[in-house]
Amino acid sequence: MTTKQLDDMQNDCALSVGEDVNRLFPLRNANLLVTGGTGFVGSWLAEMAAFLNDCHGFKINLCLLAPRASDFRSRAPHLASRRDIELIESDVRSLIEVPRETNWIIHAAGSPDNRFHFSHPVKTFETIVVGTHSLLNAASRLSALQKVLCLSSGLVYGPQRWEDVAVAEDAFTALDCNNFANLYAESKRAAETITTAYRSQYGVPVLNARLFAFIGPYQLLDRPWAINNFLRDALRGGPIRLQGSGETVRSYLYGSDLAFWLLSILVSGNIGGAYNVGSPMGISLKDLATKIADDAPRRPRIELNTLPSAKVSNTRWLPDVSLAQKQCSLEVRVPLDQAIRRTVNWHAERILQPQ
Amino acid sequence: MTRRKMVPVAILGSGNIGTDLLLKIQRSPWLECKLFVGRNLSSPGLAKASSLGVPISSNSIDGILQDASDCEIVFDATSARDHLRHWPLLQKAGKRVIDLTPAKVGKMCIPAVNLEECLAEQNVNMVTCGGQASVPLIHLIGKTQKDLEYVEIVSSISSRSAGPATRINIDEYIATTESAISLFSGAPRAKVILILNPASPCIDMQTTIFAKVPDPRIEPLALAMEKMVATIRSYVPGYEIILGPIVENGRLVVMVRVQGMGDYLPKYAGNLDIINCAAIAYAEACAMKSVDVASAQEVTRA
Amino acid sequence: MPKILISDPTLRDGNHAVQHQLTLEQVAGYCAAADAAGVPIIEVGHGNGLAASSLQVGESSVTDREMLVTARKNLPHSKLGIHVMPGFATIPRDLAPAIDIGVDVIRVACHCSEADITQRHIGYVRERGRQVFGVLMMTHMLDKDRLAEEAQKMESYGAEAIMIMDSAGAFLPPDVSTRIDTLVRILHIPVGFHAHNNLGMAVANSIAALESGATILDGTARGFGAGAGNTQLELLVAVLHKMGYETGIDLYKILDAADLAEKNMIPVIPTIKSISIVSGMAGVFSGFAKHVQRISAQFKVDPRDVFFELGRRGIVAGQEDLIIEVANQLSTRRAAPVAEVV
Repeated sequence: MTTKQLDDMQNDCALSVGEDVNRLFPLRNANLLVTGGTGFVGSWLAEMAAFLNDCHGFKINLCLLAPRASDFRSRAPHLASRRDIELIESDVRSLIEVPRETNWIIHAAGSPDNRFHFSHPVKTFETIVVGTHSLLNAASRLSALQKVLCLSSGLVYGPQRWEDVAVAEDAFTALDCNNFANLYAESKRAAETITTAYRSQYGVPVLNARLFAFIGPYQLLDRPWAINNFLRDALRGGPIRLQGSGETVRSYLYGSDLAFWLLSILVSGNIGGAYNVGSPMGISLKDLATKIADDAPRRPRIELNTLPSAKVSNTRWLPDVSLAQKQCSLEVRVPLDQAIRRTVNWHAERILQPQ
Repeated sequence: MTRRKMVPVAILGSGNIGTDLLLKIQRSPWLECKLFVGRNLSSPGLAKASSLGVPISSNSIDGILQDASDCEIVFDATSARDHLRHWPLLQKAGKRVIDLTPAKVGKMCIPAVNLEECLAEQNVNMVTCGGQASVPLIHLIGKTQKDLEYVEIVSSISSRSAGPATRINIDEYIATTESAISLFSGAPRAKVILILNPASPCIDMQTTIFAKVPDPRIEPLALAMEKMVATIRSYVPGYEIILGPIVENGRLVVMVRVQGMGDYLPKYAGNLDIINCAAIAYAEACAMKSVDVASAQEVTRA
Repeated sequence: MPKILISDPTLRDGNHAVQHQLTLEQVAGYCAAADAAGVPIIEVGHGNGLAASSLQVGESSVTDREMLVTARKNLPHSKLGIHVMPGFATIPRDLAPAIDIGVDVIRVACHCSEADITQRHIGYVRERGRQVFGVLMMTHMLDKDRLAEEAQKMESYGAEAIMIMDSAGAFLPPDVSTRIDTLVRILHIPVGFHAHNNLGMAVANSIAALESGATILDGTARGFGAGAGNTQLELLVAVLHKMGYETGIDLYKILDAADLAEKNMIPVIPTIKSISIVSGMAGVFSGFAKHVQRISAQFKVDPRDVFFELGRRGIVAGQEDLIIEVANQLSTRRAAPVAEVV
């Protein structure tokens, strides 16, 4: 990464932290473990930890646990080479022990790539369910453990109805467990159940965050989500193709906001609690595509209704984040326009820079 | 005559392929598995190995380099990506490596055809299932038929024998197998087709070989094939020609079926079994050669 | 009434009927006529799609490249489509060059239970920015719920629509309705249907699909295709117009195109012969028709017996070699001592 890119990352983190760095003081001089540490979430947590260490003297020792360390070294060499960041190569499913001095854990292991869920359902389930079980087992024997934050998904609620403006932490509908498409959501629900069991039986101080949708550097462009498709199509010169009229509503929280939110919830969230994490500000896919097109190098065309469909297939997936906002004083600090601009630039620069 | 000593080997990769290899090695009078290595202690393969009294490790390549220093042969049944990492380390450690992944950095080995040449190599790969099933016969077509223009194979395997790794790598399977059949037949053009069939009960692996030859000579081919099949069956007992060689619609046709031995993998997974059987055949040949060399040395020393 | 998207594989599925011997002149001629008629997508290639020219299913007289270049030249307005089966076609050798030539719509197809083999190919087309449909073949072999799962996989890989093919011509209208109904309900992308006429149901099945929510239909000129042939395109267009659906296709010009196809390209207008009826009843890939006839004659067995045996064994598209095995087995069985009286 260039100096400018490194500065941009730091500025993003500074913007997300704002005046509230003292809220994270309990993390000073602490040992923080992140499982799934080399994915999107892990990478942003690493950026945030680096920022807190460099600009606020936090002296966090960050340990990233992932099955492969080599990807991280090539994707984020400026982080992998830091002395305050350690990489442990391990499959979370067979995890027996974690570093003894660990004080805080964020359990982010598990791929949200739904292509993987469909092609490798057994491994998906195992990684999430068995992985959570192994991690909590290891955590239960840590002397200096303060809290474990497990990352769940907003999909656990079941499909959001179009009439519901946003989904709050108590808005559960039933999921058909025999429906193969629900495998990821069911795995995440089972993982949350395991956290309840460990909390109850062994007193492990664990809480859950339910993640919605995010945007930012470090997100792979080939991920099959609408926003990644738009970005990829835009960077290729377009056109950006939308199914239907693009009225489906989503929201996107920027990576540095995500990192600050997660660390805040880790520190101030209630043990046994569950917190929605995401942006409450919905945007239609059509408007999203328009914003992305405006920022893309060659201002691509947008095509709606490219194929005729019998039904209107618009969906809404929006978190009600008032719980996190009130209890942990959190807010969206990186506006969507800026988030999109940063992401488009980051990808565009990478396309221009040979690896 | 000195008592035959078994050659120590290690298996890297505790999935279904590695575990099946282990069971075959347990039966081998030439090979002894000194270490069975995975990277995940909860893998059923490691549990199986442990129950058989075979030393296990979950330290992947480090396990081999540290604990299996006396192993002469290492079977790598991990993944292409991992093999690329393992090979330089094993090469430096002087190990002979049998690559069962799609990495294919070493020499292609089809025991019934080029076993001898491969004995001098430090890294060999077992090509693909279609390659193992068809190359010996295609090689004979190349030898007995004049002006072989084109060769094509179609393999049908049961859906249940094709896991996610196979399914995501079909293009690579086609490219590798095409280069193998070109190489071993001398045909200027080659094509490979792969079909997955979900029928239940599961079908055995079936491969049809087609060849374009202006003036097909069936008799010498049939004779040579009969001998070749006997050779192949010595290490792949479930291999048989079910039809041919015949000429149908201007093309030379031979149909082969491979049923697996059912050691750890199910019997219908003949496609997976044939690769393991070939790997064992090669390893045993290496073992026989090194034991002969050792015996010869002892004799001269005595 | 929604608009219906018509995709026309006359120059691909039709190739089965002439053992993949369509010439470049024929391709050029039909493309020009269909383009003039406003047919949205024209699919061109060997009967089994890209890179399928082989001893297994039959060698084409011209290369994929030649066909596609010719078609591209003669389709000023319509989209050029291809049918691609992983296991036959690979990305670097076949799909990438086809996209370079200017193919607009890539339909990635597999046997209905094996959708995950299409993951990379669908993903590649999306990366290249072209339109990609997922195609499930021989769909009479799966129930509606399993079919929906496979379709969902393709949707997750990036498919922009799902085509359900009745490759054996085995469906009756209710079979189509239950499947299309379920798919339309579960998927977020459009659903289409491709019929064969072995049981005389192609148009009826296509309408049943429509009424269950499909918005994409395939048809070929005069039903040009293997055996009993496909849905007759110009007929389907007429029926759709009569029902009030919009296709964007000019009726007179599509009738002209079909007349042209009949004159220049279709040696025998598809009819439903005995063998096709049996093939449909047995649930066998309709492209096997000529192979079964030839091989049955060679081994001196009844082709109808061969079809039923192929169906019993659950043989899928691309397994033409098994016809030889089955015919051989039937002939040796028959040659065995007839009766052992006990």
